[in-house]
Amino acid sequence: MSFLVPCPNCGRRSVYEFVFGGELKQVPALDASQAEWQDYRFNRTNAAGVQTEWWFHRSGCRQWLQAVRNTITNEVLEAFLPGEKH
Amino acid sequence: MKFYFQNKPVEAQSGDTIAAALYRDGQRIFSRSFKYHRPRGLLCVSGKCPNCLMNVDGIPNVRTCITPVRDHMKVKAQNAYPSLETDWLSITQRFDWLMPVGWYYKTFTHPAMWHAAEPAIRRVAGLGEVLSSEPREYEHFWMHADTAVIGGGRAGMQAAVKAAAQGGQVVLVDDQTTLGGQLRYRKRAGEMPGGLVQQLQALPNVRILHDSYCFGLYEDNLLGVLQSNPHPGTAERLIHLRTQHTTVATGAYETPLLFLNNDLPGVMLSTGVLRLLHLYGVPAGQRAVIVGVSGATEEVSMALRDAGIEVVTTVSAEQVVRATGSGCVQGIQTQAGSFSCDLIVVCGPRVPDAGLAAQAGAKLTWSRERAAFLPTALPSHVSVVGDAAGETVDNIAPPLPTSKRAFVCLCSDVSSQDLCDGIAEGFDHIETLKRYTTATMGPCQGRMCQLSAIGVCAHETGRSTAETGVTTSRPPNPGVTLGALAGPSHHPIRRTPMHYAHEKMGAVWMDMGDWKRPRYYKTDTVSEERECVLTEYRAVREGVGIIDVSTLGKLDLRGPDCGRLLDKVYTHRFSDLRPGRVRYALMCDEGGIILDDGTISRLSDDRYFVTTTSGNLDFVYQWLNWYLAGAGWAVHIANVTAGYGAMNVAGPGSREVLNKLTDCDLTSSAFPYMACRQAEVAGIPAIMLRIGFVGETGWEIHCPAESSEALWQAVLEAGRESNIRPFGVEAQRLLRLEKRHLIVGVDTDALTNPYEAEMGWAVKLDKPDFVGKALLSRAANDLSRERLIGFVLQEPGLPEDGAAVVVDGQLAGRVTSSRHSPAQRSAVGLAWVKAPQAQEGATIDVRVDGKLVQARVTMQPFYDPEGGRLRQ
Repeated sequence: MSFLVPCPNCGRRSVYEFVFGGELKQVPALDASQAEWQDYRFNRTNAAGVQTEWWFHRSGCRQWLQAVRNTITNEVLEAFLPGEKH
Repeated sequence: MKFYFQNKPVEAQSGDTIAAALYRDGQRIFSRSFKYHRPRGLLCVSGKCPNCLMNVDGIPNVRTCITPVRDHMKVKAQNAYPSLETDWLSITQRFDWLMPVGWYYKTFTHPAMWHAAEPAIRRVAGLGEVLSSEPREYEHFWMHADTAVIGGGRAGMQAAVKAAAQGGQVVLVDDQTTLGGQLRYRKRAGEMPGGLVQQLQALPNVRILHDSYCFGLYEDNLLGVLQSNPHPGTAERLIHLRTQHTTVATGAYETPLLFLNNDLPGVMLSTGVLRLLHLYGVPAGQRAVIVGVSGATEEVSMALRDAGIEVVTTVSAEQVVRATGSGCVQGIQTQAGSFSCDLIVVCGPRVPDAGLAAQAGAKLTWSRERAAFLPTALPSHVSVVGDAAGETVDNIAPPLPTSKRAFVCLCSDVSSQDLCDGIAEGFDHIETLKRYTTATMGPCQGRMCQLSAIGVCAHETGRSTAETGVTTSRPPNPGVTLGALAGPSHHPIRRTPMHYAHEKMGAVWMDMGDWKRPRYYKTDTVSEERECVLTEYRAVREGVGIIDVSTLGKLDLRGPDCGRLLDKVYTHRFSDLRPGRVRYALMCDEGGIILDDGTISRLSDDRYFVTTTSGNLDFVYQWLNWYLAGAGWAVHIANVTAGYGAMNVAGPGSREVLNKLTDCDLTSSAFPYMACRQAEVAGIPAIMLRIGFVGETGWEIHCPAESSEALWQAVLEAGRESNIRPFGVEAQRLLRLEKRHLIVGVDTDALTNPYEAEMGWAVKLDKPDFVGKALLSRAANDLSRERLIGFVLQEPGLPEDGAAVVVDGQLAGRVTSSRHSPAQRSAVGLAWVKAPQAQEGATIDVRVDGKLVQARVTMQPFYDPEGGRLRQ
């Protein structure tokens, strides 16, 4: 694994500067069923293809960002700060 | 120069590699083969075959043909006993019929059989052993360039000049000591374009890495480059080279032909012969027979004659029957007759070395015209030039074996018969054939054997070479030493600002993550751990003690929305915390599992000071920021862990000591339990928290790291009359256990929720929303599983952490912490038990030293249950 993540603050940086935060998921509502919460906590889509993920730039700007990555090629198509996707 | 081979001195000339010096000295057998212990001599002289691997200064499997001689180096043969010339285990080749292809898989069908045979097989087969050696230094290096050119031959140098002309930074990686590639030894292949090397060396934006090979091309153009002896004292440097564009100019390498005894020492590739001759001035023999088809035979023949080597004859590959001789070549049998010679020069097919391009995603496509696999469909960031792209490669069809017992794979002794057997058994795809026979899987990674294996596979299966295809190219290739990957032998250590003060006071250290913390302190009179800890314990309970707690995670939160964030992430409520007050803070995940704890102090309306456990700071920082991400809340989080030192002054005498150092009113009415103040202590600005992890009156004082040691010394000085004592982690653990304060990660695990840990008071379910609320609301009403209880052992003894709890002969839980409590005069501890036992006065059995010992359950602290001492 040696791909670059285009951090919106710092530019293209080695993936080793980042902490992986998992795929982007909808947090269940407070009154959601136990099954929904367990699905949220433990299950992964494990997509073979493009998915949006959380990454934390630990050795850089120390911000969380979201990156759209192809899990097959490890190509990061874009990355943006949460809520700033155009 | 002099070095030692098998403990005997060998002279070497300047510029020699180990193998060249040994060959000049008369050595002909350089290794014994993997399986049959057949003698093997120099073949490629370019580090591409497995034949010259030796142990050099304790490092196994060193390619001696490309390793320069250093004075006094110690070189030893591998996989041969008693010597390279007489290897008793060469008897195994008599039994090759017992060991057909797939022998392992067919014979050792039961694990027990394999376990029985494995030690013997490991002794017989294999490569070098790791001998104990002098420690070697390695380093890692990061490099960025616009263009990397791999290969310092003519094509590579021209590509580098061209790239440099465009103004970018260029790195040229060459595995030789001198630029020039094949032009250095193929005198007739053409002249080096005038002044190319000088031109390159004069370019300010070109960096040339000599003695460096590229072992892999990874995602986003990261090149792994290994540089030998980058400077004195460092054996190898691993360079992480990131580029915009990579030009592969790795040339083409020659491969062997397949005839009987094609592995006999004295059978050498023509390029190997030329290298020995022109790079090191070593003639490979006196009487040579040249085998081959291409125009290369002519070039080699002339070069040999120029050097005074007799060329007996030149024969084509199909005519060769066998090489003859025992130990090394004495002649050759061909359809045109037998010839006596001491050197067989093989002009084999040349293979474009495009593995790096393939790793980047290029396809290797069979070119019928050049009879070679050429890189096609290159990704945009990679280009291939020169012979790596097949520029001057003009083979005819891949060679077919003239003997079934010719060796295709020299690394693991796979013959063409073995390949045919594998195919007959159904492994007829080149990838499955590779895995079944292990051809192309040895140290040479298929360089010597892949083309031949493809040829045999295509011929046997009746497919075309193009249909047969190549196996996948994967890094690292060539291999990389583990030491180089591991990098410098350096372990980071974090020291608190008071570290050296502890050292002077006799601290005995323990590691907590990267931190060093005093476990306890030895003094002039007491040195035994138990005694030291008890003395420190008594100081805190009866007088005053001080402990360094700088390792706590410390976060400074500012902004109007801090309260909202903390209410969301922690289970307690913090928006209503009054400035000047402290509250215990518990953090859970969405499942209500305890993640971390600490304290949160409100210093002013929009400033909070958060502490975390020592090990979880990184995580908590990320966790807080994750809930901030995109929320639009005005909060700034600063990690001030390294910026602040911290100490806890505790004990009934602590107020008296601190009163000497600060004007801050420390009386309980002005500065009550769970209050905080910003004040000067010993003239140093500090944050004082009145909290009591150890259960006595005390203050946790945070101050700038640069002043922490001064403050520590000032407190010790002020406490001299009160006999103040520093105490370590072990005493702190005992003190907190008596107070039944849990440690996250010690007394809790990945299933612990606050209710089961008797911490329900720290969860405010009436908050509208917080992390974990959904599942904690359910957990609050369900305590049927396990509970964390305290126990007092009824007999002497001390259970180990993790000891079993037994009820009615059944396993019913486990001990998480246990110490001998001076307050209870017996062992006490925390344990997880099943819900029915979680009652005051219940009895459980705890396993101590293999015996069951009765213990009484208590839900109260073991010391000062009302907490009166904390509030004094």
